[in-house]
Amino acid sequence: MFLSAPTKKTFLPSMEAGIALLRDFLPSDSRRLRLRRRPSPAFPRSIRASSSPLGQYRGPQPKRDLVADWVADNDGFVRSLPIYVGGSSLLAVLFNRTVSGIAPVADASSAQSRADLLTLGLAVTNVLAGLVWLSIRPKPISVVEPLGVECRRIRSDLPESVVSELLWVWESLSTVTCCRSLAIIYDGHCIMQIGMAAKSSANDGEAEDVDANKLMQGSLYQGIINSRAQSYLANLSLYPGRSELPFLPFNTQAVILQPLGDKGVAVIGGDTIRGFTTSDQTWITYIGEKLDAALAKYVNDSSILMQERV
Amino acid sequence: MIRTGTSIHLSSPLPGRSRLAPGRETLPQSANQCRWMSTKRTRSSSTVDDGSSRGHLPWKRTLRKQRGRGKSAIFSLNASIRPHLSPPFRAERNTKRSRISARLGSDSETTSNERQLNLSVLRFTFGISGLDESYLPRWIGYGFGSLLLLNHFVGSDLANITPAQLRTEVLGLSLAAFSIILPYLGKFLPGAGPGNQVTLPEGNEQLFVMSESLSDTLKENLAWATYVLLRNTNTIAVLISIRGELCIRGYWRTPDDVSKGHVLDWFEEQIQKIGLSDLKDTLYFTQSPDFGFRELLPNGTRSLLVQPLLQVSDQEEYEMGRNEGFVVLFSSMSYAYSDKDRAWIKAVANKFTGRKGRNPPDAVEMYF
Repeated sequence: MFLSAPTKKTFLPSMEAGIALLRDFLPSDSRRLRLRRRPSPAFPRSIRASSSPLGQYRGPQPKRDLVADWVADNDGFVRSLPIYVGGSSLLAVLFNRTVSGIAPVADASSAQSRADLLTLGLAVTNVLAGLVWLSIRPKPISVVEPLGVECRRIRSDLPESVVSELLWVWESLSTVTCCRSLAIIYDGHCIMQIGMAAKSSANDGEAEDVDANKLMQGSLYQGIINSRAQSYLANLSLYPGRSELPFLPFNTQAVILQPLGDKGVAVIGGDTIRGFTTSDQTWITYIGEKLDAALAKYVNDSSILMQERV
Repeated sequence: MIRTGTSIHLSSPLPGRSRLAPGRETLPQSANQCRWMSTKRTRSSSTVDDGSSRGHLPWKRTLRKQRGRGKSAIFSLNASIRPHLSPPFRAERNTKRSRISARLGSDSETTSNERQLNLSVLRFTFGISGLDESYLPRWIGYGFGSLLLLNHFVGSDLANITPAQLRTEVLGLSLAAFSIILPYLGKFLPGAGPGNQVTLPEGNEQLFVMSESLSDTLKENLAWATYVLLRNTNTIAVLISIRGELCIRGYWRTPDDVSKGHVLDWFEEQIQKIGLSDLKDTLYFTQSPDFGFRELLPNGTRSLLVQPLLQVSDQEEYEMGRNEGFVVLFSSMSYAYSDKDRAWIKAVANKFTGRKGRNPPDAVEMYF
């Protein structure tokens, strides 16, 4: 958040903290500092200009969620907590039985045994719940920096609206997902290549060109055009079709090929194995449709324009 | 009582194209456009929403966001909308099921270089669809706890209760209490169980209105954005305001005395009362926001997200406390929006901030 000298910082007494500010979902890449968000402080401050009398936000503020924050902070501890609780109560029940001189026999004859059995059942439930929580623990997978050159190429004869649409797609993908390279091929041409690209062997230091025709004849492209569905290559090194995407940095980890209608494809390269989540995939599908609509309109307009000229 | 009411104020058609008839669009270029502008029930949407991906692992993905929403986001013009929508397709659940979710690390444990991926291979399930097994400890806690009490009062000789039995019962009851709160804690863990289906509370009616004075491209963008937000997140109602122009879509609860023509005015009045145009922070209410929003809230709202559109480069405007617009999302679930969801919502909101001229043309290497 911006803090500039003339503004006054006020700590709202009723709101200590909260999920009010987006926690920083941006890796601290210099490129992405564009959104200029600092790591969220413990107490987000709401800035009120000292001179604004009317038009202040009068609605409620969210309350701090202590439990959610505590659980998020002590993730490992919380996951194994049920196991410890269940295991120790299991031992406690057995201990109790031996100490009070009752034989540790699991039958339901006496009230004591019944109570013991119920307690054992609860303990086992806790242990199992803890095991399930541990099994769904996120596994850290490290990012592999793509090796290549930055490039930023957009076809020059595109109208402003299409260019801003394309740039918006790039901004969203690079900010929210692990996307590091993006290439859009439409109607037989490559209209955008942005992000990291492989270094071309021909011209030194330049990014490798996208050969749209070659890509369109390849099996990857044909496959997705026929099925009209997104293709997610979660671990690119396992795919022989890797050779059809020479313009991506060679250590690109994951690729999503999103068809744009039946005329084009968006190639989205990421830097983490299985880095695109299911929600990312659905969002990319919708963005692909939108992009297809915008580009189709442009192609139609320009073809009608050409016809009128002729 | 559910009434369907839609008002679509779409402007006159583009020159040379077919007319935009009310309620149906036939833009020849792409069928996609029809889907997000039209309010007709479209079957074809179910195939695309599959978001089908063919990764090399044959896992079955749980479309957790899609499950409940297959019909909920399709706004139909006919009057037979059931308030509680069952999903048209269900992800199959079997004991071997993997889910992928990512959390871009923002806490102290992970450095900025690491992203956490979650691949859960084993999950206990009964196979009954619609049953959320993560609440199993709670039911077991209630059941066994009541059995313990039953055993204490009915099953044992109340006059001669041994201390050993009392100890066991105390231990058992505290374990039962712990099991009951276990699902509540588990909800906050990343990688927690599949999201609940979005249920439509009663008393709301469908609405889709836009201000008249929006440009065509902006209308299309707004229609797409609202469509995507309703489909892809746990949202039942969305309101987007850009420089005073409104776009409202979803299930709302407008008072009965407000006629169709004045719906927009009523919304503007509510917004004015709350002062949303002066917001600068993103607000995320995970539980019911009780006061303040009361009139605007659709019935049964449990969480709320307000995302202001900020023109970041405009320092003066920022200090003055006004924003360029805002996006409000209402959901019938509590804790409806994860970090990832909010990141995407922010990205969609950025479409409208108008920071288009950020990169000067000479910085873009054009070729061809």
